[in-house]
Amino acid sequence: MRSLISFRPALAALTLITLLISWTNAEYFGMEILAEIAVLALLAMSLDLLAGYTGLVSLGHAALFGCGAYSFAVFTAIWGWPASLSMAAATLLTGLVSLVVGAVVTRVQGIFFIMITLAIGEMGYELVFKTRALGGDDGLAGIPRLDLSAIGVDLNDPGIFALTLILLVAVVYLLLLRLLGSPYGAVLTGLHDNAGRMRALGLPVQLYQTSIFAFSGALAGFAGTLSAQHTMFIAPQLLHWTTSGEVLVIAILGGLGTLVGPIIGAALITLLRHELSDLTDYWGLWLGLFLILVVMGGKNGVVGWLEAGWRFVARRGAQSKSTARRSNDAAG
Amino acid sequence: MLTDSGFWFVQVLNSLQLSMLLFLLSVGLTVIFGLMNFVNLAHGSLYALGALFGYSIAQATGGMWLAYLLAPLCVMLVGAILYILIIDRMRKAGPMKQVLVTFGLIFVLLDIQRYLWGTDQLGVTSGIPFSGSFEIFGEIYPSYRLFIICVGLVVFAALFLLLEHTRLGAEVRAGVDDPETASCLGVNVERTFFVVFLIGSALAGLAGVVAMPAFSAEAGMGVSILVPTLVVVVVGGLGSLKGAFAGSLLIGTTLTFGQVIIPSFASMLMYALLVAVLLIRPSGLFPARG
Amino acid sequence: MKTRVKLGVAVAASLMLAGGQAMSKEYKVGVLLPFSGVYAGLGAHIENGFKLGLEHYGADLGSDTITMVRSDTEAKPAASLAKTKKMVLQDKVDVLVGVVSSAVLGGMRDFVHNSGTPLVVANAGNDHMTGEKCSPNIVRVSFSNSQINRPVGGWLAKQGVKTAYLMAPDYAAGHQMMEAFKKTFTEAGGTIVGEAYPPLQGTKDYGPYITAAKAAKPDAIYTFFAGGAAITFVKQYHDFGVKKDIPLYGAGFLTSAAYVHVQGEAADGTVAALHYVPAIDTPENKKFQDAYQAAHQKVGSEFAVAGYDAAHLIVQAIKKSGGDKDAFKAALSKAEFNGPRGPLRIDPATNNVVQNIYLFKNEFKDGKVVQTILDTIPDVQDAPNGCSM
Repeated sequence: MRSLISFRPALAALTLITLLISWTNAEYFGMEILAEIAVLALLAMSLDLLAGYTGLVSLGHAALFGCGAYSFAVFTAIWGWPASLSMAAATLLTGLVSLVVGAVVTRVQGIFFIMITLAIGEMGYELVFKTRALGGDDGLAGIPRLDLSAIGVDLNDPGIFALTLILLVAVVYLLLLRLLGSPYGAVLTGLHDNAGRMRALGLPVQLYQTSIFAFSGALAGFAGTLSAQHTMFIAPQLLHWTTSGEVLVIAILGGLGTLVGPIIGAALITLLRHELSDLTDYWGLWLGLFLILVVMGGKNGVVGWLEAGWRFVARRGAQSKSTARRSNDAAG
Repeated sequence: MLTDSGFWFVQVLNSLQLSMLLFLLSVGLTVIFGLMNFVNLAHGSLYALGALFGYSIAQATGGMWLAYLLAPLCVMLVGAILYILIIDRMRKAGPMKQVLVTFGLIFVLLDIQRYLWGTDQLGVTSGIPFSGSFEIFGEIYPSYRLFIICVGLVVFAALFLLLEHTRLGAEVRAGVDDPETASCLGVNVERTFFVVFLIGSALAGLAGVVAMPAFSAEAGMGVSILVPTLVVVVVGGLGSLKGAFAGSLLIGTTLTFGQVIIPSFASMLMYALLVAVLLIRPSGLFPARG
Repeated sequence: MKTRVKLGVAVAASLMLAGGQAMSKEYKVGVLLPFSGVYAGLGAHIENGFKLGLEHYGADLGSDTITMVRSDTEAKPAASLAKTKKMVLQDKVDVLVGVVSSAVLGGMRDFVHNSGTPLVVANAGNDHMTGEKCSPNIVRVSFSNSQINRPVGGWLAKQGVKTAYLMAPDYAAGHQMMEAFKKTFTEAGGTIVGEAYPPLQGTKDYGPYITAAKAAKPDAIYTFFAGGAAITFVKQYHDFGVKKDIPLYGAGFLTSAAYVHVQGEAADGTVAALHYVPAIDTPENKKFQDAYQAAHQKVGSEFAVAGYDAAHLIVQAIKKSGGDKDAFKAALSKAEFNGPRGPLRIDPATNNVVQNIYLFKNEFKDGKVVQTILDTIPDVQDAPNGCSM
């Protein structure tokens, strides 16, 4: 078990190194893809806090992502605030919205939680879709990127923008790892395993659930501000429940409750999507089949498979040192 | 307009028609939910398949009657294949993985529909029964809408009798209430699950083929109907016939009258209602299990 | 997926044999259309039309060749923008063509404007894209939302219609279409007695709206619906038996050639306005329809025509520019030719197409819908509306 705990950070390091290596080789489109992967990875990590660690499966997460993106767009493109202030304000605002939403939705459990988050998310989608001041279904253009020219960084360069996002993924990963390692993180995992027992222990369960919902929402909002800066244009599609579904797919495909899984899932889904759609107009079919097979494989996503492989290799290593009789037993 | 009783009467019929369509869609889903604890997001795709099969059968036979009969059977067959290949193996995997597998299934079924039926909108123009209209309280109303209402009511009655007065019904009720005890008492839970899933699939197919002449058929029509169906199931409470019926009436009425009275908020009303119901009754209106 | 359309090889060879100094140029066209998602059907129509247009007009390009690169926009703005960037920066296409959804066009607009690569829009009708957000790089060969509806207001008033009830899906295009009609209709003395904007997605049950429209007792109802919503609306309007008291009018997508056969009898008596109807009686249209129907076993729709004319436009610009790619870009904004829809030209002030709008009637005869043109409003041109190039 010990080897597994250090396995995941090692895997995360490997994933980030892979992203950085592909960054050095990437052309224009490669940079776009890397930035897309990074944004999705941040969003999927934020959902992993909820769905993976705390057991709160939300189908309304895209609405919080969209809340961050739209408030950033309003602050910068319409109100003319500087991008840095707007990022902070949009993240904070989404956190507050998530706090209110979280206080409401955590009152129901299971499938009802999935549905109530879907419903609230769709209300957000409809609201943005209808609001002409936010561009309605035509979307909102003219969103600027953060100006870091003071320290000699030009974020309008696609390569530098992609690199910044990849590094941000690394920073957020490390911060979340610390958070989950803290006593607070232990409570979250406890909530996932047995909310009833935690309640019996006198823990304010709903308070904890609301707090992680708010934190996760703020992180999704932060990812939203980056998404808006990446495309410099946003449309209501960002908030739709199918977007939430896709992020959930990313998190589960990568491996829920592993934190590194969402990063791998984001890379895998994004690449598969672009490669498959170049090959066939029926790429949805293959993507869907792939998803079904991975989930039906029974392991915890790609990370689960990798861990099983690692265990296998580790056991083989141990076996070769032991006697032939014992290794026969282990194989049986 | 607002004081015209004929106007309101027609709107009541409209809301009943929508409610019955939603009922046909949601009743199969809710029993599968309640009995098997299974979240089937691909239920909407079965609705689309019902409409598309119905279209092909109507084209081949020149009329709708055979389509009403055969399209649900075709969808049932698809349901059986899905059950054997996927659903049965995912029954104990927990709602999260079920959501995911059936989400993947939406993509797969959508592309299969596009491959087989193309991307254009399809529909039948001849051989539709009840294609005229009739007059009631000085208002003209399409007969076909009344037909949809009747189909919904007949299915409700048939399911009620099936659940209350047959051995299968007793097994289903026992299975929903307490699957383990039911299994101990000699109920073949596995077989009950399979039969219920088939009936649920056939009903989704029936909804599709019944709706097709009044709407149109196209690959992907199942995706937009999925969310209202899920809302009905959750508002009504999982696993109960009464819940699906009440949920359908509530959502159908809210949508219809919302569109007339506060049109600009109509699209949000359904979601607001769901949030409100869940906050007051966290397990929906009439859950099968207390 | 790469399709290489080599054209005029024989001509090129003969020119070279004759010792001519023809410089052969390769023109790369990036096709951006939805091949999956809700607009996949329209994507297929436009692509089919575009390929047919290349076949018909690109056959005598001399030594020049046209290469096609295609990409699925999924009708999603973010994905489309990424693919646009790939085509421009990496594939280095000379011209982009396609775009069905206005949101996708909105997402691409700034990038295309700042890049040197022209875009030929083959559907998305958002007025602003050839109005306040116009760009020298964006040429539209399809239509603008207001262009189709603006001529109808006055026309309908002239037919003796005094009051109208409006209905369209609740999204930008729906509102733009209705606004354009409303303006000219009220200017011509008409009154709007009510409006309803049903949700774009959802249950598509228009019964409650139709009942409400009927209760308002207008002389006519004017609508815009497209695709599955159009079929459903026309059928339900017919079923409610309202048409004999309140005739149904609309932007021509209501009874598009793409699906009017699915509406059948329900379309009977409906009058609509559009920039293309298959009934147009010209040699260009006959050539287009004959070839299209032979290849695809269905009538060429206005969407296929937009693809077809986009190909015609690009080929004409290539021919005019004589191998100079800057001249090619300039030539796109000055195009002028007869297409299946009749005469059309690009207005250099806005880069929007100037074309006829046809008012046509649908009649159900012997089990088929027959469309006949009632009136032609020639040369409909959008005002610049804040566009400065």
